Parts: sequence; C-alpha cells; structure tokens
Amino acid sequence: MTDIATRITSTARAVEPPKGRRRLTGGGPRAGTVLAFVTPFFLPFVLFYLVPVGYALWQSFRVVRRSGGQYGTSYTTFGGFEQYVQVFQNTEFWSSIGRIGLFGIVQVPVMLFVALVMALLLDTPLLRLKAFFRITAFMPYAVPGVIAAIMWSYLYSPQLSPVVDLLDGIGLKPDFLGPGAVLWSAANVSTWLWTGYNMLIMYSALQSIPQELYEAARIDGASNWTIAWRIKVPIIAPSIVLTTVFSIIGTLQLYAEPAVLRQISSNISSTFTPNMLAYAVASGNNYQQAAAISVVIAVITFVLSFGFMRLTAKRAGL
Amino acid sequence: MRNTARRTRLAALAAATGIVVLAGCSSSDSSDKAAAPSCSPAKGKVTLQYWNTVPGMDKVVDLWNKRNPGIQVETKNISNDQYGILGNALKAGKAPDLAQVGYDELPNLRTQSAFVDASACSAAGAAKSKFVPWTWSQTSFDGTGVFALPQDTGPMALFVRSDIFKKYGIAVPKTWDEYAAAAQKLHKANSKLTITFFDPNNAEWFNGLLWQNSAKMYGYSGDKWQVTVQSAQSKQVADYWQKLIAGKLVRTDLANGSTQMYAAYQKDQIASYVGAAWGYSMFRDNLPKQSGKWSIVPMPTWGANGSSGDWGGSTVAFMKGSKHLYESVKFNTWLNTDPEALAMENKLGGLYPAANAGLQLPALSKGVPYYNNEKIFDVFAESSKKIDTSFAWGPTQKTVNLALQDAMAKAAAGDGTLDDALAKAQAAALKSMKDQAIPAAEGK
Repeated sequence: MTDIATRITSTARAVEPPKGRRRLTGGGPRAGTVLAFVTPFFLPFVLFYLVPVGYALWQSFRVVRRSGGQYGTSYTTFGGFEQYVQVFQNTEFWSSIGRIGLFGIVQVPVMLFVALVMALLLDTPLLRLKAFFRITAFMPYAVPGVIAAIMWSYLYSPQLSPVVDLLDGIGLKPDFLGPGAVLWSAANVSTWLWTGYNMLIMYSALQSIPQELYEAARIDGASNWTIAWRIKVPIIAPSIVLTTVFSIIGTLQLYAEPAVLRQISSNISSTFTPNMLAYAVASGNNYQQAAAISVVIAVITFVLSFGFMRLTAKRAGL
Repeated sequence: MRNTARRTRLAALAAATGIVVLAGCSSSDSSDKAAAPSCSPAKGKVTLQYWNTVPGMDKVVDLWNKRNPGIQVETKNISNDQYGILGNALKAGKAPDLAQVGYDELPNLRTQSAFVDASACSAAGAAKSKFVPWTWSQTSFDGTGVFALPQDTGPMALFVRSDIFKKYGIAVPKTWDEYAAAAQKLHKANSKLTITFFDPNNAEWFNGLLWQNSAKMYGYSGDKWQVTVQSAQSKQVADYWQKLIAGKLVRTDLANGSTQMYAAYQKDQIASYVGAAWGYSMFRDNLPKQSGKWSIVPMPTWGANGSSGDWGGSTVAFMKGSKHLYESVKFNTWLNTDPEALAMENKLGGLYPAANAGLQLPALSKGVPYYNNEKIFDVFAESSKKIDTSFAWGPTQKTVNLALQDAMAKAAAGDGTLDDALAKAQAAALKSMKDQAIPAAEGK
C-alpha cells in the first residue's frame, strides 16, 4: 500500500513546474511589474518583521547604566551577552519552558489525533450531514482565543459554573483551577479552539486524493479501515506534519488562554509561559532582558519546528 | 508537496519572528540635560495635554476650558495601558504636560526621568497644606521637590456584613487579634462561611496592609537604596495571614472585583471585606440586594499602633518636556483642590479626594442609603489622617509586586509561606534594581 502513496507523491512531483526560471530582473517593463506585485508584501514585511526583529536583537545586546544619585539618569550601552547569560540563569524561564514542553507533549498529539479521526470520519462515504459536522467542528476556530478563554473560565469557575455544580452534586469535587489542574484546563481551551482548524487542513488534503485509488484498493480487498490507515493517512502525512509544526509554534507562543485564566486563578503565575514571562519583564521596564528572552524563544521555536520537519521529512515525503 | 514545505518554513519563520516583535519597544538614552525649569506664563493662548485614566474626566476639563479660554486642556484616556503608553511617549519625547500616575509608580517613573520639578512655581509648593499629609510626602519625594499633585486616595477600612456578625453573636473586631478570633468563631459556626478572602494576586492590597503596620520597605542612605521589604513589621503581617490561610479561615480562590468574588458575597459565604474608600460603590452597584446589611468601620489595628493603610489612588504628575509649567501648575491645582472639580471627579469618576477640601464635599458628608444611611465617609476621612507619612515605594515596584504575587499564590496553594513570599519580593527588588543599574543594598 505504501507503494501507492509513493506513486502519488512522485506524480505530484512530476507536475511541478521546471526548476530553471527565466531571470526576472533587468527585463524592462517586466521588472516594474514584478516590483508592483512584490512591494505590497515586501514593504510591510520589512517594516513590521525585519525592522522589529533587528531592533529586538540589537536591544538584547544592550544593558542599562545610570549616572548619579538616588534616581539618576539612565542610558544603555553595549553589554555583550550579559542579557543572554541572565536568560540562561533564569530558573523561571526554564520552568516556563518545561511547563509548555509538558503541555505540548500531551496537548499536541491529543489534539491532532482527534483532528485526524474527525477528518477521516468526515471523509467516509458513510457519514450524513457532512457540511453540518464540518462547520460545527470548525466553528470554535472562529471564536477569538481570548473570548474562548473567558467562556471556559466561566465553566471552570466553582462559583459560577453549572458543570462544577453538577459534578459537585454527584460527589466529585473538581478543581479545574487548582495548582495541578490549571495547565490542563488551559490545554483544554487550546484543544477546543484548534482541533477543528487542524481537522480542516487534514480534510482538504483527503479531498485531493483521487477516488480511483480507493477503487483499486477495494478491488485488492481493502476494508474501509485499511483504506483509512494504510492509504489515506500516509498520503496526507505532509498535512499532519504541517499541523504539527503549527501546533509546536502555537504552544511555544502560548499566551492568551493562561493570561485570561490568570484573572480567576492565582495558580497561573506571571511567568507561567515564556511569552508571559517576556511580557512581565518588559512591563518592569527591562526591555533589554525581554528582548533577549524573546530571541531565545524564537530560536527554540525555530530549532523545534525545523527539527521536527527534518525528522519527518523522509517519512512524510516532503 | 515541496511548495507546501517551503510555505511551512516561511510560516514557521514568520511566526517565530512574530514573538520577537512583541519585545520591539525599547529604551535608548533618556538623558536629563534640560536646563532648570522656569515658571513664566506664556504670552498667548496655551494648550496643555493631560492624559488620565478617570471616567468622566473630560467633563471636568470642559468646565475648566469654558472658564479659562487662555489655557485650554486636551484630555486623552490611557486607562487600557497607562504605563505602557506613558513609557513609550517618554522614550519618543512626546510625553504630555500632565499625566495620571499612581503613587506606587512615582519612583519608577522618576528613575526614567519622567518628571519635571514644579517647585520653580511658588504656587506648586504652596499647595502642600491643601493635601492629606502622606500624599504630599510621596508626590514631593519627601519634600525634595514638587513632581506631582495628589488626586485621589484609597484610605482603608473594614466593610462588615453586620447582619452575619449579629446572627452569630460576634462583636465587630477592632484589632487584628479580635479579627482572627472572629474568623475562627464564624467558621466554626458555619463551615461554609469565612470572614474574608485573601487575594494572592493582589500585591497592591497586601502592600496596604504592610503600610498599615509601618513596614518601611525602602529607604535611601549611603548613596544606595536600602531594601527592607522583609522586616519585622512585614513579617508580622505575613505570619498573621499565613495562619488564617493555613487554618482555612480565609478563602484564597477569589480575585478582588471578579464576578466570582461577588457571587461568593451574594451567597453569604463571606462576612467582611478589607477595602478602600473607592470600594464603597463596588458592593452598592454589584450587590444591590444586600442594601442595609453592610456597614463600614475602621480597619482593625495592630495593638497600640493605631495607624491605617492606603490602597490605591493616584496623582497628576508634571511631565518632563512640558513647555508650560506655569499653566500646568495652575490647572493641576484647580483640578485637585477646587471643590467644584473635586465634586465632579467624585461623582463621575468615583474618586476619593486627596485634598483636605475634598473630604468635606457635601456628597461625602451625607449618610449613604446602601450602608444604612451611615456616614461612611467619616470613617475614610479618619482613616486618611492615620496613614503613615514615612512610607515610600521602590523604584521597581511593579516587578516586586509581580514577584510577591507569584510567591503569595504559591503560599496560598500550600507551597511555601507568605514569609517566603516576602523573601522572594526582597530578592526581586534587589535584582530588578541591579538590572536598572539603581544602586541598592539589603537594608537593616
């Protein structure tokens, strides 16, 4: 069966445009056209990505110095790797990384597995009301993260939640906001928000598989189960890798859900996730340290996403 | 498929760099090379900028503008990110003439060279007698200048559900010892009832309690800040609340002002509230059905020390770069001492005035229907006079508050004690001051 998958991917490769491209620059009117198309992307990209990134990098190598008296006058100067040394010595930083590491290791596979199962179910000819289920599953994604977290915070709150009341009634005493549970309560919000989105990516990949493949598989005696796991899943592996990479990035950037739950649970500290830590440090005027933290988060994100893609490149046929 | 991979990589790159953008704003030199400020009136018409966080402040300013065609004031509400906006404006050299700054943020902003000393204008220094003493000692940095004028305060008091205390035959406590005893009795009588809640995420409130016990957290001597966040006085407060928490005599799962907090009061699960003057409207507006059940009495005291504490309040600061110091002083003085202005600020913004004249406002001299027509503001006015004038905030207060909160939350969850939290706050104070190159040492 993997043969079929390989054949499909190689067909996809075959229809790719030829590698050698004509030179785009210096071609008179064409250069102007290219410029007209590229500028709307490039200008904001430079202004809102490259410049701030460069500025943050520059800041991360600065330190504050001060002259004179009780309040003095501050200025910044080149400090080498001083800010980075502080990041690496900061236990709060590493525990926040550990916390979201744990979050990611549990939440990402669970979410993607559920998304995959849902996508496969939507793709079976047996299911009715497909459009309805597709929309329903996708709907949470349309809710902004902050709103979703506020909504869930009402469901978690012992004073207000009907769910907690109900569970209390049958003798369970759930504490969704307790020191051990609150991380998973946040993970639940993320899962609720993003499962439908990931499902849709996988589902669209499933849609592009030619029907003849299934016919061929059936003639070979494959059951629906076998078709799903031995044909569909291997073929959409690139989409699964893609959603995993998105999820890794999302996890490292986790901010909105815990920040909202923090309003009602003191078990979420101001340094709960790396981004929250960076924000807390910046709000204390230590912009240089916040910049260094951000750079380190970016590097970790980079390494993990590329590492994962590298690791899976062969199997996923990327 | 290759395309997908390439796009993924781009997306990954874009997303990864996105985080860095968050840290984009930053400081460069904020040198203080301006000449000594002068106080001469401008020749023509002047327009001042006043950034604030008070609801209805624009209406107060309208009144001023109508009466003072020569000094027009423009307001901007910055309540969504007060210090972020001010910090960025300062760095960009675009700070307003006047800005709302909390007492506890004054030293921090001064280390950013945010203020101008208005004492060049004699009217500014002359305002001293018009304000409650502790407010002036903080805005003048212990009499070394005039960097802001006090606007409002939050003298603390005890909000009591008198009906609950009566029901269980418990006298309203006058000292913290009596309060702890009452906590025990109430909880014993009804296990669902606690005397109050301890909000671990509210360092500002806890600071008010420390202040009440004359805990001096910062001093300056020998060219260094002396950090004494951890002291015998602060330890006494921490140990007291630690005991209540450990005995489950106070709840720790409620955040001040949250829907959950009101729900708990609504369900008669909590019998009192250690609050500030501006909090009187919280219960009135959120728990209308409990009208007549509440009274306000002086904050319990620490034995012989009859002091009270303050929680919150803010000032209107003279910002560096203002070209119209004379006019700024004029407007600022009117805004914060004129009875008509104070009455409007009290009515529209709920401010409890820092000016002595404000304490006698008609609205603050009457009985309040929600509180059984008691003259509750007399209690706050009395509290206001008993607030320690030597208390001072640190130059990195926000960072210290966050560290204190994080550690108090751990203590509330059974990991460590409130005394440990003070130690963490002390360490955070020293570390954050070192990061800002502010000379500091462990004080004694």
